[in-house]
Amino acid sequence: MDFGLSDDQTLFQSSLRGFLGEKVPTGRVRTIMESASGHDASLVQQLGEQGVTGILVPAEYGGTGLSLLDAAVAAEELGRAAVPYSFHAAAVLAPLLLAASSNEARKSEWLPRIAEGRATLGAIVAGPEVRDGRLSGSASFVPDAAVASAFVVRCGSGPSAQFHVVPRTASGLRVEALSTIDDTRRVGEVFFDGVAVDAGTNLEIADASAGFERALDAARIVLAADSLGAAERSLDEAVKYALTREQFGRVIGSFQAVKHMCAEVFAEIEPLRSLLWYAAFAWDERRDDAPMMAALLKSHACEAATEATTTCVQVYGGMGFTYECDMQLWFKRAGYNRQMLGSPAALRELAAARMS
Amino acid sequence: MDLSYGPEYEEFRREVRAFLDAHKSVAPPAAIGLEGSPQVRDWQKRLVDGGYASRTVPRQYGGFGAKPDLLQNIIIDEEFRRAGVSRGMANQGISMFVPTLLQYGNEDQKLRYIGPTIRGEMIWCQGYSEPGSGSDLASLKTSAVLDGDEFVINGQKIWTSTAREAQMMFALVRTEPDAPKHEGISYLLVDMKAPGLTIRPLVMMTGHAGFNEVFFDNVRVPRENLIGRRGQGWEVGKATLIHERNMLGAADQTENSYIRCVDVLRDFGVLDNAVYRDRLMKIAARTYAMKFHSMRMLTDRLKKRPPDAAALIMKLNGCQLNHDIAKLAIDAMAETGTLKRGSRHVRADGAWQNEYMFQLGLIIGGGTAQIQKNIISEIGLGMPREPKAARGASR
Ligand SMILES: Cc1cc2nc3c(=O)[nH]c(=O)nc-3n(C[C@H](O)[C@H](O)[C@H](O)COP(=O)(O)OP(=O)(O)OC[C@H]3O[C@@H](n4cnc5c(N)ncnc54)[C@H](O)[C@@H]3O)c2cc1C
Repeated sequence: MDFGLSDDQTLFQSSLRGFLGEKVPTGRVRTIMESASGHDASLVQQLGEQGVTGILVPAEYGGTGLSLLDAAVAAEELGRAAVPYSFHAAAVLAPLLLAASSNEARKSEWLPRIAEGRATLGAIVAGPEVRDGRLSGSASFVPDAAVASAFVVRCGSGPSAQFHVVPRTASGLRVEALSTIDDTRRVGEVFFDGVAVDAGTNLEIADASAGFERALDAARIVLAADSLGAAERSLDEAVKYALTREQFGRVIGSFQAVKHMCAEVFAEIEPLRSLLWYAAFAWDERRDDAPMMAALLKSHACEAATEATTTCVQVYGGMGFTYECDMQLWFKRAGYNRQMLGSPAALRELAAARMS
Repeated sequence: MDLSYGPEYEEFRREVRAFLDAHKSVAPPAAIGLEGSPQVRDWQKRLVDGGYASRTVPRQYGGFGAKPDLLQNIIIDEEFRRAGVSRGMANQGISMFVPTLLQYGNEDQKLRYIGPTIRGEMIWCQGYSEPGSGSDLASLKTSAVLDGDEFVINGQKIWTSTAREAQMMFALVRTEPDAPKHEGISYLLVDMKAPGLTIRPLVMMTGHAGFNEVFFDNVRVPRENLIGRRGQGWEVGKATLIHERNMLGAADQTENSYIRCVDVLRDFGVLDNAVYRDRLMKIAARTYAMKFHSMRMLTDRLKKRPPDAAALIMKLNGCQLNHDIAKLAIDAMAETGTLKRGSRHVRADGAWQNEYMFQLGLIIGGGTAQIQKNIISEIGLGMPREPKAARGASR
């Protein structure tokens, strides 16, 4: 019996935290998020060198082929540091769908480049349809729409769904940016106007609908981890601030109202971390309760993180509401995670349906 | 991450199952009263002898003398729960006093009290709180003055659960009036039949007279009833409180209660109702989070890591969650949810209604939620004490 991270995972966590603290401080986060594209290719390459982008890419394609629990550890750190990178899509959804494919040509085209951080793939979960070898329709909220090298596109739904890899330069494909509250993960709307697809682009995923649900659950789990990271970091920063800011002649952290706000956030976050570890582990082990846990986790993590970041902004008072204060980064990050791939209410409904 | 227990533990699991198969027919129903009927006491003895209750208490004190093994305890819990069989009496004597005595008592005291307590023959009550000293427990005033070989006690305790059923009380009293607040307290054992001691029942909001006021008017207690040293009572008493908090909010009970709550929602036809499903799933997430959280704490203990701050939240979260689960269950019952034990139409003989009220008491008892938050922020997050509270630590 050993519930928790392995020594390797703990080491990976602390080295990634150290790396991000040094190389991606909030100053760099702000520079990237304020840029037009919100994307920094050199950052993605650095993440590649740290093993972050290829964490779920199988070793024979140049990745580390680790577990989802490892990916969750990474996601928590990316959330803590508010790193401008759509990890859940580029390093989870896209590579998991590619890895499930039997199209060797596409796998060896993209997986090694993802692992090295030289390509970012956007993942489209619903929208376009294939008719007569052509894709039409559109999809919104596509991560990295404006900068992706290619998209993994889910066409149709249910057991007849197909997955195609479509380069962004394909003729008939057009992208428009959407701006969300969170500038650290960009999304866009992708339009398909008779984009040609064929056997070469088809990923040929066996048991596509089950495989897709599984990949989607993995992405939900890492979004939950990102939210946990955001919540934890907010609390760390809020406690630090509360120990220095003085009012009425004493530090505000000595006021019980402030202490209780922080204690409540702490009490909410810690069991969430345990639930995250279990959900990721259950996914890795394909346990029977894994689908239910993924849905429960994401709904709970997103509620807890929005609550936590909201509380922590208040610990800062007016300062917390400024653009200048970093609290906004995690508050908005939690807001983005909350709605993507299923809102808390939608996922509770899904969890109930998955309850045996 | 490895959630398996390994072959030797699976062997142990088979032993537990064999015991349950052999004894199931004489087991009382899962929920049993405090002092218990003859059947309950008989069951308690079988559990102690078989090593399924007070398992690690040394043999010379009447226990089974097993080495502490957390996984074995978990397996016993799991198998008893699966079989729907009572794990025996869980009162303040067994869960709080015995572990404290093992730590601080002398040989005579251990020999005298532990055996009868774990066999359910001796019931204890906890005499800590006073009318003026609840959260600020160390301000307690009940005095004990040494007169020859006896302490003479004067004062009053309040909220004393099971004072009328108990033969004995473990109490905190002030023996050194001139010492600083925390250093003037001693831990004394009081015979509830001693002359000068009177008990007045206090009715809880549940309608049961579950706790009491206890008055001491020159109550004489032999000197040998002192546990630990004079003036060491705060330290000894805090050890008891740690055992109390470990008991309150335990995750396996919460999970049981959650599973029963799902049944209630199904029985009342609201499991498919979107609003109830939503509430249920919120609670499910918190319940599982606490379950895995306690597995994480367990792993820390197995690996002999010192408990971290995250361990401080078990009582706070667990008690609140238990209350929320009961609230959901009685909501699902609509008007029926208001009925008390014994009414016509009542479900499960009012167990959920009682739970709904009683769990609120446990959010307060053993240290209130607010006090728990103080502790979390101070010990867990390193935030300063309130300037006023700094003069006297809360419980
Ligand atoms: C069901 C039940 C069973 C009990 N059984 C026993 C028993 O067997 N033996 C026994 O000795 N005691 C028992 N108690 C007493 C229990 O331990 C006390 O009620 C508890 O510690 C709170 O003390 P109090 O009631 O005096 O409340 P108070 O201390 O007066 O508190 C009142 C309010 O003020 C808040 N407060 C007080 N101090 C602070 C602070 N520093 N910071 C923030 N908020 C504060 C509290 O949180 C609470 O909201 C029991 C209580 C209950 C409800």
